[in-house]
Amino acid sequence: MTTTDISGLADALRGALRSSDGRLSKFNPLRRILTFDDFNDGLHGWVELGGNYNGRGDLESLDRHFRDMRPPQLSNANFFDVGTHGAMSGTYSMKLATRAHRGHSATGIRRLTMSGRGLLQIEAYLAWKTEANLSGTEQESNSFGDITWDANSHPSEAQFGSFTVATDLCTEGVRYHNVMRFVNADADGHLIQKWAYPVVPEPTPHERHEGVHDYEYGADFTAPDPNDWRYLSDDRVETCYNEVPTKINWHYLRFLIDTSTRSNVELQFNNDVMDLRGVPVPPYADKYESLENLLNFYFSARTVSGVRNFLFLDSVVISAGW
Amino acid sequence: MAMRQSQSAVIERGVDLDTVHSTDPFEVAWAGEARWFVQFLRPAPGCRVSIQVQISPDGISWIDHESVAARETEAVGMVSIPVAQFGHWLRLTTSKVAGESSPSLRIYLELKE
Repeated sequence: MTTTDISGLADALRGALRSSDGRLSKFNPLRRILTFDDFNDGLHGWVELGGNYNGRGDLESLDRHFRDMRPPQLSNANFFDVGTHGAMSGTYSMKLATRAHRGHSATGIRRLTMSGRGLLQIEAYLAWKTEANLSGTEQESNSFGDITWDANSHPSEAQFGSFTVATDLCTEGVRYHNVMRFVNADADGHLIQKWAYPVVPEPTPHERHEGVHDYEYGADFTAPDPNDWRYLSDDRVETCYNEVPTKINWHYLRFLIDTSTRSNVELQFNNDVMDLRGVPVPPYADKYESLENLLNFYFSARTVSGVRNFLFLDSVVISAGW
Repeated sequence: MAMRQSQSAVIERGVDLDTVHSTDPFEVAWAGEARWFVQFLRPAPGCRVSIQVQISPDGISWIDHESVAARETEAVGMVSIPVAQFGHWLRLTTSKVAGESSPSLRIYLELKE
């Protein structure tokens, strides 16, 4: 058997084993699975993104837009009209829930380091929803932005701002973020439904310490200036929000990057595969210490309507080509 | 035997209590026991605060937990309130009942299977 034959056989075996595994067969991981997070058995290290506090932990030493990213919740997706919706697999998913405050982001992060260089991938099954509303007059509650209730479309869909999948990586002292955001609607409830990415690195607590910036509570921590974002395409992305805020249809997401070139590679959202090799990954100008081989992924949800926005994650797989 | 799942959630990390404050809805269906900690980060001596555990069937409509009486305390130090049989949602409502100044609160929710 040649080396090529052995390699092909190994790939085929790997594929056969995975496809016979009811939990993993819905994923398409790279060769080495670093993490497999099924939220039926805990949070698996996903934690609220926290800012950098001073020597005695003073709240005021944290950036205002970094003080309140909210603890993740283990959710059984429990709703007023149908009771427990459950998850794609089992009962529980991880829920990131924003405050009912315009601009607020809920962010869960997972912290690892790299033992190699090359392709790196995160996959997830996720759903996004707004908090159901049970109050107000019909006139007040039946319309928001572009959507007026017609027994198909529901105004809640226009109340979801965006969700983001991103990295925080550092190799050879160079720190950078790969970021992709699904922008669903603007603050006025106009539907956008496009993928976007920032062209600047995320503002840092050190920059605030140096007096470079001082963002307010609810500022977009990933890239606060809307002018620093670009759409991947002008085409609207059709999704399966499914009409009301209490029906959950799980969507597949796969984000592939390359840490050997510090670049984006590909984004898959259900059956759409998008080439990201032209999408920039802006690094920080200054070199970092104490962050070598940093390998963080985060998910966030951001409300711009002021209605609580939720991002549910059924399960997440991080895999590497090294 | 699997170890018991647990979560410590920092529900508030420094909220000024001027009148009444309710924490955001938190899902706890998986947990069998819970304990709140309320820490007065900026104490307000002489100020009195009432703390009430609340439950909900849907995270939208809330009532007081029937077996956890409201705890009234001076706004100094830290208080803890255990709670069981809470259903699927928990929140904590704190009310200033006496005093002029406003304490700042850090609120933890400790959950365990």
